[in-house]
Amino acid sequence: MGDVMEDLSSITPTNECEEHVFIAARHMLKALGASKNVSNDLRRLLADVDIHLSRRTNITETVLDGTREVEERLKLAQEKVMRWESNRSMIWASGHEEASEYLQAVYEIQRLMESLRSSPSSSSGKQKELLDRAHSVLQMAMERLELELLHILAQNKQSFEPEYVSFRSCEEDFVSDVSIVSTEDESIGDTSRRDSSGTESENHIVDLVHPDIISYIKSIANVMFASHYDQEFCHAFTNFWKDALDEYFFTLGIDKLSIEGLLKMEWNCLNCKINKWIRAVKFIIRVYLAGEKRLFDQVLGEFGSVYSTCFVEASKGSMLCMLNFGEAMAIGTRRPEKLFKLLDMYEVLADLLQDVDSLFSSEIGSFIRTEFHELLMKLGDTVRATFMEFGHEVALYPSTNPCNRGVVHPLTKYVMNYINVIVEYASSLNLLLGGVQDGAELVPFDQNISLDNFCPLAHHLRSLMSYLEHNLDKKSRLYKDSSLKHIFMMNNLYYMVQKVRVSKLVTLVGGEWIREYTAKFQNHATNYERGTWKPVLSLLMDDENKTRKSILKERYRSFNISFEEVYKNQTGWFIPDTELRKDLQISISQKVIHAYRTFIGKNSSVIDEKHIKYTADELENFLFDLFEGSPMRLHSIHKR
Amino acid sequence: MRATDNQGSFLNRISIRRNQVVSMDGNHEQELEDLELFQKHVADRFSDLLLPKPSSAGDSPSGADALLSIAWFRKLLDAFLCCEAEFKAVLVMGRDPAQFAKAPLDRLIPELLDRAVKALDVCNAITHGVEMLRQWKKLAQIAVTALEQRPIGEGQVRRAKKALTTLLTSMAFDEKESHHGKSTDRNCSFGRRGVAAANKDKTAGNCRLLSWNFAKSWSASKQIQAMSSNLIVPRGGEPTGLALPVYVMSTVLVFVMWALVAAIPCQERTGLPTHFPVPRQLGWAQPVIGLQEKIGEEWKKKEKKGTCGLLEEIQRMEKLSQGLVEFADGFQFPAETDDVAAMVAELAAICENMEEGLVPLQQQVREVFHRIVRSRAEVLDVLDQVGKLSTPVPY
Repeated sequence: MGDVMEDLSSITPTNECEEHVFIAARHMLKALGASKNVSNDLRRLLADVDIHLSRRTNITETVLDGTREVEERLKLAQEKVMRWESNRSMIWASGHEEASEYLQAVYEIQRLMESLRSSPSSSSGKQKELLDRAHSVLQMAMERLELELLHILAQNKQSFEPEYVSFRSCEEDFVSDVSIVSTEDESIGDTSRRDSSGTESENHIVDLVHPDIISYIKSIANVMFASHYDQEFCHAFTNFWKDALDEYFFTLGIDKLSIEGLLKMEWNCLNCKINKWIRAVKFIIRVYLAGEKRLFDQVLGEFGSVYSTCFVEASKGSMLCMLNFGEAMAIGTRRPEKLFKLLDMYEVLADLLQDVDSLFSSEIGSFIRTEFHELLMKLGDTVRATFMEFGHEVALYPSTNPCNRGVVHPLTKYVMNYINVIVEYASSLNLLLGGVQDGAELVPFDQNISLDNFCPLAHHLRSLMSYLEHNLDKKSRLYKDSSLKHIFMMNNLYYMVQKVRVSKLVTLVGGEWIREYTAKFQNHATNYERGTWKPVLSLLMDDENKTRKSILKERYRSFNISFEEVYKNQTGWFIPDTELRKDLQISISQKVIHAYRTFIGKNSSVIDEKHIKYTADELENFLFDLFEGSPMRLHSIHKR
Repeated sequence: MRATDNQGSFLNRISIRRNQVVSMDGNHEQELEDLELFQKHVADRFSDLLLPKPSSAGDSPSGADALLSIAWFRKLLDAFLCCEAEFKAVLVMGRDPAQFAKAPLDRLIPELLDRAVKALDVCNAITHGVEMLRQWKKLAQIAVTALEQRPIGEGQVRRAKKALTTLLTSMAFDEKESHHGKSTDRNCSFGRRGVAAANKDKTAGNCRLLSWNFAKSWSASKQIQAMSSNLIVPRGGEPTGLALPVYVMSTVLVFVMWALVAAIPCQERTGLPTHFPVPRQLGWAQPVIGLQEKIGEEWKKKEKKGTCGLLEEIQRMEKLSQGLVEFADGFQFPAETDDVAAMVAELAAICENMEEGLVPLQQQVREVFHRIVRSRAEVLDVLDQVGKLSTPVPY
């Protein structure tokens, strides 16, 4: 092959027409030299060229001056073109030979037109007429080629099944429908937010058409460009893909909604749309558009910048449509339940930033690039504002009725589970919250811990939890019984500590925080014991004076009544955490039983066995009924 | 003054001034002055748009910034951006946020925000419409390329005719069926071919230049109606002077959106109001009313025949395309081409004009979009402050 190439390149074309053939031939040889193997199709095509050559040798060798000869050749080419005008079947669908013959005919017309134009007698009537005829035939052929192109594209457009994109159905997930008011369960925390499905499809570029037919499309592009019908080709090609992308949106379940419509939409419904949007954006930008750009490059790459212009034209409308959805989300209300979805959107866009920059790297694509960057920034702002708004809500969440039985408040659960999810987005949030005032003016929170070592998010989370603590403190004041207030605080603070301890939060807010809050809930436990049991146990305390029998008996009776009263009350209170409950029960029991035994032992002369209402063991067992959440009465069960 | 400069956040300034107690009288005087200036500037800017200053060269009726031309719209959007910046200064700067919670602003501000959201959707529809104009320009350009060749033969004529027929079909389609969204079965230029009939579903894509960007039910004319329906002239004795600037700005916004919808292909325009009431006695309103009457007249004239939009370039493009198709229909080789040459030259000039003007116009529409978003956010921030002020702070 190399020899042939050298041979050819050393020959100088003798006229303009020949020059074209030379350029084409050189180009072909170069391409052949570069490609390793020659497919059968190509072989056939080359053979075809060979046939043409042998048929034409005589003609190309002589200089084209005879108008008659031009007319003959034009007639031949015209016949080939006209033959398909009355034919219902498509050329490219009828086989390679048909297609290449057709292309040859078109190139022949081009050659003839060139020679007619350059011929010295081009102003003669006959020449003009021939040129006009050639133009007509060429126009006919171009219309036909455009049709063929669209047919090929439509027939070979690859479809991407929705499952290929692996859409998760639109279940409402976790925080989405939970407003701050109504979280009774703990469903927030254990949802892993990122599902890994679909990663395999994200990392490779798809073929928008079957790879085999790219050469067909290219052959049409080449001949249309060579005939100066590049505008028609680009128009048809670009619009085809514009429509295809449009339809694909539809397949992906992306509705075209107005911003007004989106702003008015119910959160559940919107949430569902966001999920779809996130998947669609990722797939369309990373996979689909990357494939589209490659196709445009393959087909139009050699014609210069036109390929990127066409690509931007074909994708701009849909990109804007996608971005507008983001705009709508960025200007929507800043409800806490939206935070994670906003973060998801933010992260997906941040992740795609480089892809977009390279897809739309051209000058004409800068419009999309800028829009994309701006949207990312806006979403970041909205995330930040939503996060701050959440802190505000936590601090100001109103307290109306005290929490029944002193249990963990729904707000505590919501906030802690919420924070647990927030941690998943630590890197984004650290970026977004850096340098933001944490709103410490809202609640004066403990400044005795140095915060310098913490990342912005940790800083904000600590404030958030201190808002929560202050709000809980406010709520605890609703209890009339100060002991129950302590149980409530203990339960809630303990819950917070546990939530931090078992999650990634621990590394973020640190052991110091855990120690601080552990001390806090323990303090409440101590205060509880002091509040409830100190007065009760004081009845069993020794007097300095020798106590009179009647007073001792009276004290014992009072103790029993007080104990029964506490029992009646506090069996109804509830410490949900078994461990915490046991700890407190044991702590109480140690103090109470010890005091009781001492009292009974010391005063056995006064209070003999028949006066003893409860044995120490019985009393100890009763203590283990406390904080179980079901109120009981002692005298009723003690009737034996 | 270019309108593109970043306005920054007015919020910062508000929060600084938030707690300052300004004496009511001094403040009031300043306020009245600002208000007066704002109205004067609105009047000036719209007067310029109504009667463009004669440029050095003799102005032809279809001069560079003729009414409803691309250049005119670019001036209009610039004027909008300037008015908007000034309005925001009047509304938000140095303002005690508590005023927003009092009548009449407690009603006017939500209406303003609602109008803003509607305007965003109109901007999007227009961005989309400009994209369609660019498509039309490309088709016209094909015809120009074909007919600029000499001699003009049947091939060139057919080529031009094909492009222009597609163009005119798209223009007519836009008017008649635009709201039928997904319909692809259009009368396209391949219709006469047997082969096309067999492949209609596949080839129709070529004729369908663009589908609309919203759900079928969305209608530009309804948006405009909704935006203008609650435009009520403030009564004289409003407690704060702010009702008036809100009204002025809303009128400007509605006017700009209305003009855009009338001029640029847009989803569902039937029933577009030809005017909305603006009281004549207000000084700034005169040029707005003048423009409204002119455009309204145009719309009334064109609406009956069906129009692809009042944009001056498109009107001429349509007429020239029809003329050239007529020429093509009666074409016999060899033909007298002098008339055609003039038409082609004009079409070529329009194409060039569009090539230069449409992308900047589109970007400007987008800028208006972003500006409205930003202003809305700033007003919301103020409302947010009001909300927080009214909540008793517990600590």
